[in-house]
Amino acid sequence: MTHEVPTYIGFEEYSEHVPASIPSAVQQATDRFVSGRAARVAELPQWEELRQIGSDIRVHTIENMDVYLIQLEEKVKAAGGTVHWAETAEDANQIVLQIAKEHNVKTAVKSKSMATEEIGLNHFLEEAGIEAIETDLGEYIIQLAGTGPSHIIVPAVHLKKEEIAALFSEKLNINAPADPIELARIAREVLREKFLNAEMGISGGNFLIAETGTLVMVTNEGNGRMCTTMPDLHVAVVGIDKVLPNWESLTVFLKLLARSATGQKLSTYTQFITGPRRAEGEFGPKEFHLVLLDNGRSNILRDPVGRDVLKCIRCGACANVCPVYKNVGGFAYGSFISGPIGAILSPQILGTQAARELPYASTLCGACADVCPVKIPIPTILRHLRRRVAQGDAFALSTIPVPIRAAANLASLVLARNWIYRLGARLLPIINPFFRKNDWLSGMPYPLNRWTNVRPLPQFGAGFRKWWKVRSAKGTESTR
Amino acid sequence: MVEGAFRQRNGIYPMTNPILENIRRSLGSTIQTPLRLPPAILESRQTASVDSEVEIFLNELKKLSGVGQKLSSSEIDSALDTLVKEQNIHKATVWETPHLRQLGITAILHSLGVGLVSPNASKHEMALCDLGITEADYLLPETGTLVLNSSVEKPRAVSLLPRIHLAIVRPEMLRADMHQVFAEAKENHYLVFITGASRTADIELTVTLGVHGPRNLYVWMIDS
Amino acid sequence: MPKAQLFITCLGDQFYTSTLQNMTRILKSLGVELDFPPDQTCCGQPLFNNGFEDKTRAVALNFMHAFSKSDAPIIGPSGSCVSMIKHHYLSLFPEGTQGHTLAVDISSRIFEFTEYLVNVLNVTDVGAVYPHKVTYHATCHYLREMGLKTEAKALLNSVKGLEFISLKEEETCCGFGGSFTITFPEVSRAMMENKVNDILASGADTVVMCEPGCLMNVAGGLHKAGSTIRAMHIIDLLASSEESV
Repeated sequence: MTHEVPTYIGFEEYSEHVPASIPSAVQQATDRFVSGRAARVAELPQWEELRQIGSDIRVHTIENMDVYLIQLEEKVKAAGGTVHWAETAEDANQIVLQIAKEHNVKTAVKSKSMATEEIGLNHFLEEAGIEAIETDLGEYIIQLAGTGPSHIIVPAVHLKKEEIAALFSEKLNINAPADPIELARIAREVLREKFLNAEMGISGGNFLIAETGTLVMVTNEGNGRMCTTMPDLHVAVVGIDKVLPNWESLTVFLKLLARSATGQKLSTYTQFITGPRRAEGEFGPKEFHLVLLDNGRSNILRDPVGRDVLKCIRCGACANVCPVYKNVGGFAYGSFISGPIGAILSPQILGTQAARELPYASTLCGACADVCPVKIPIPTILRHLRRRVAQGDAFALSTIPVPIRAAANLASLVLARNWIYRLGARLLPIINPFFRKNDWLSGMPYPLNRWTNVRPLPQFGAGFRKWWKVRSAKGTESTR
Repeated sequence: MVEGAFRQRNGIYPMTNPILENIRRSLGSTIQTPLRLPPAILESRQTASVDSEVEIFLNELKKLSGVGQKLSSSEIDSALDTLVKEQNIHKATVWETPHLRQLGITAILHSLGVGLVSPNASKHEMALCDLGITEADYLLPETGTLVLNSSVEKPRAVSLLPRIHLAIVRPEMLRADMHQVFAEAKENHYLVFITGASRTADIELTVTLGVHGPRNLYVWMIDS
Repeated sequence: MPKAQLFITCLGDQFYTSTLQNMTRILKSLGVELDFPPDQTCCGQPLFNNGFEDKTRAVALNFMHAFSKSDAPIIGPSGSCVSMIKHHYLSLFPEGTQGHTLAVDISSRIFEFTEYLVNVLNVTDVGAVYPHKVTYHATCHYLREMGLKTEAKALLNSVKGLEFISLKEEETCCGFGGSFTITFPEVSRAMMENKVNDILASGADTVVMCEPGCLMNVAGGLHKAGSTIRAMHIIDLLASSEESV
């Protein structure tokens, strides 16, 4: 999996070939974040109220998105920034490339941005001859490795320090020791040189405040500050769904975000950037460009159920509690965003042909909905998208494979007609002797083999109805 | 959820913006949920005495691997001496603010043999500094956060490029919480919240400090 | 005497005859006059959860017709099936249709077994005896969709001789998820193995839960792992007495 935009996500195939190292590495990360989150939540008695207000604010913003985007554009311009509108991923890439060309950019330093991964910006720029370097340590590592992220917050958690040392040694032509602190120091040195010499800094954004035209960036390493302070040019690519009305509403999300993501009260650095620098001596970019990315979000708005996905503040709390995610890691979700949020966002951005397996990549256990800081009803949206895949709706035709639809037809036929069902129930025990082993059934034919390959099935034995009939015929029956 | 109410539009926007047009079309006649910000959520927290706020701040800073201490202005000399020696400081850069000037920071550093780089120097020169000294425009005790503005006198790089960041602060900068800071500072063109030293857990979840930002964060609270 | 109708569920029907018999006996012993509508088949959850809402309607109508011959409350041994009927049937039928009218009625009088005992009959002690080390797996729909957080433990608490052992990751999904076991068998396997390992590590000799589907998954997994730990539906545990242990 690379940072290119996928054309089909084969979750079943990917999840069947998960390298053994992934679940344990991912679970170490998720365990830490889950316990951190629990501690921070316990400290805030008004946590549930904050979640509700966070949800309400996001709903309000989504329902007034055009109004706030207009205000945002006006304010960014008034602050001396430039606003670009990108309908598609291709448009966004072209806009960034154009800006880069106009400024003779050879090297761009990038702060972690899921929006730029969504559009495959790095790959696009590299094809155009511009070096785009990820500077977040985890993103830098996976960029060198040529793979995608295994976790939203710690994308390289699946790699052991020995692997990272080997990677650095090979790509940087050095002798890197297998020690996290040393490896971080190497990255610091290598990337510092890039920060100081790059012509352009590219970032994403966590929030956009319409009230003043302010970009909010929540980071930990300092590379986010470097990318937006050292080069003379700063380009931020941000989804249109990130807009918030004002600073007061922002306070709610700053209280929710870091706690939900990593269990920190606040991330190390939170920046509030309104336009370019005002004077040369203060440092900061001379030019600030905001690329507002649509890429399907304005279409998602049409769907009153699906559009709740736009409330997401990209904290990763859902992934941290998801037992499916924890057993397969980020790669299986086939795109820039994984876990439960990935399962409901990718099908809406990429479509239910490319991502038709994702809405089913869940047991609907509901653990995610319990922790989402903005109360996205993920299981509801999963079912909603399954309906889109299975039978189609106003937004897309059905994309379910024919055999599955045939099976559903058969099931509906049988289950809606109690005489067929009861006949089947009486007949099923006949097959028991053929597959019985120690009172369980194993080695059954397709499709039940998919069950029995993993664990045995109990024997068929529908005996209650007969028992009840006999019991009722007897009148008062015994309790044995 | 969706009723016959027609959307009202304030303001004019270019009709050729296809994204805004599509948003409008998609939302159609959606009922607009009002923006609800309950006063209880926005209410500033009750603060106790200045001393207890300072304690809370320093405690939180410590949890984040920051080193904080209370000093009187007469102790700065020796504190800087200790810092310079312990951390092997050769070059430093300092915010040019009235208070820091009053404390004579640059003069002290100079007497300690530390080379001084102008805070408005080029980024390459700044990158050679071991120590960057700033103030803080606000302090948030609950999270141990320093809030810094940006201007010609207060360049952003001073708290970012050197491997050690020292913030010399005063209790007057304390604010109850974010609500207060935002109320005062939202019109600034730049703000940064610094909550502890730069960190990552990207490699095998081992917490490493000083990835890109400063590795060491010192905060000296000068009582007025 | 309170009246109730027995909802046996399709999985209960095929695989758990003795559990259904125990459910009948317990309710009877609590003085409930029972009826069993024979036209029932399945609540339709497998179709609904897979997105085949159109095909679920006929199944739901069959269920509702079967249970509308009486207005007595309906009791079932499965949190997920009861939740399907209670929370999702209404969304299947537009207002003004017969299906909607039926759904309004049915969804207002359907209960999960432990819910009925604890919250309707106000009973937590059914006289059960089970002197063993028991751990509990909180099944997802029972816990989160039905919101039943304390009922099962309240019942277990009153069982004579029972030593309760907390299960690590008690609330984590076992990997059943209905058709999920067939759609993504390897992921289901991984989740099931995690649950089985936690049960093995608990030190209990019995694991109990309130969901037939999850029970099938966990019991099968324990058997495959060569374990002698008993996996039971809470109903079977509650039916245990001095003579049966």
